[in-house]
Amino acid sequence: MASSRGAGSQQVIRMADLEKMSLDQLKAVKEQADLEVNLLQDSLNNIRTATGRLENASAALHDLSLRPQGKKMLVPLTASLYVPGTLDDADNVLVDIGTGYFVEKTMAEGKDYCERKINLLKSNFDQLVEVASKKKTLADETGVVLQAKMKQLSPSS
Amino acid sequence: MSSSSTALRELQRDLENKANDLSKLQKDIAKNHQVRKKYTIQLGENELVLKELDLLNEDANVYKLIGPVLVKQDLAEANANVRKRIEYISAELKRLDSSLQDLEEKQHSKREAILKVQQRIQAGKAKA
Repeated sequence: MASSRGAGSQQVIRMADLEKMSLDQLKAVKEQADLEVNLLQDSLNNIRTATGRLENASAALHDLSLRPQGKKMLVPLTASLYVPGTLDDADNVLVDIGTGYFVEKTMAEGKDYCERKINLLKSNFDQLVEVASKKKTLADETGVVLQAKMKQLSPSS
Repeated sequence: MSSSSTALRELQRDLENKANDLSKLQKDIAKNHQVRKKYTIQLGENELVLKELDLLNEDANVYKLIGPVLVKQDLAEANANVRKRIEYISAELKRLDSSLQDLEEKQHSKREAILKVQQRIQAGKAKA
């Protein structure tokens, strides 16, 4: 889950400051901003993957709730070995809540859990998207100023 | 004069030593950040677990995965365990915070010392 990095100092760089900086400083700022944008994109991808997995789990739960008790099924023992079995109890599910803890919940509670987690991830995703787009605009602006400065210093005929 | 060149060489050796110390400090700071990140993630996960446990009824069944074994646990015990873990991680994070501050101070003073040695070397070279 995305937790805010409290120790990081947030630098608010405005256009005026960008203009005043030397070429080297501009390059450093742009590299730093690009790095941060990449990190944020990675985090966004991770959240998207996790959300996808949760949605799969939710769909599987829904499917399971439709099956009658005693229905014949194949139980995976390993990735390539399935064993025939019967569906015993479609009402209770074991939910992995993290750090090795599992909780027995009813089908409804299990679905609710998935919903809650998906909503949490979606809100984290939205927050991150905001931060990422701000950083991206900063990186782009810095790039523009950098280019302008380089043209100034080496006027190409 | 040989005396000033030996003094110069000594200064340069001192500079090298200080530069090595600085890079070691920077490595320590980077490691501190890594451990900090790991602990922060664990803290977040444990807080989520605590929230889930709080939502449960008294009679709900809680199991803990210990190796390949799923063991039934008492809700109160699970709560206590998670809380204790959260406390431990918070204490570790605080400790890391203070050691990070310490390292950053040392890094700052090391940089200043290096600057001074560099200035002396420059002065020495100018005189020669």
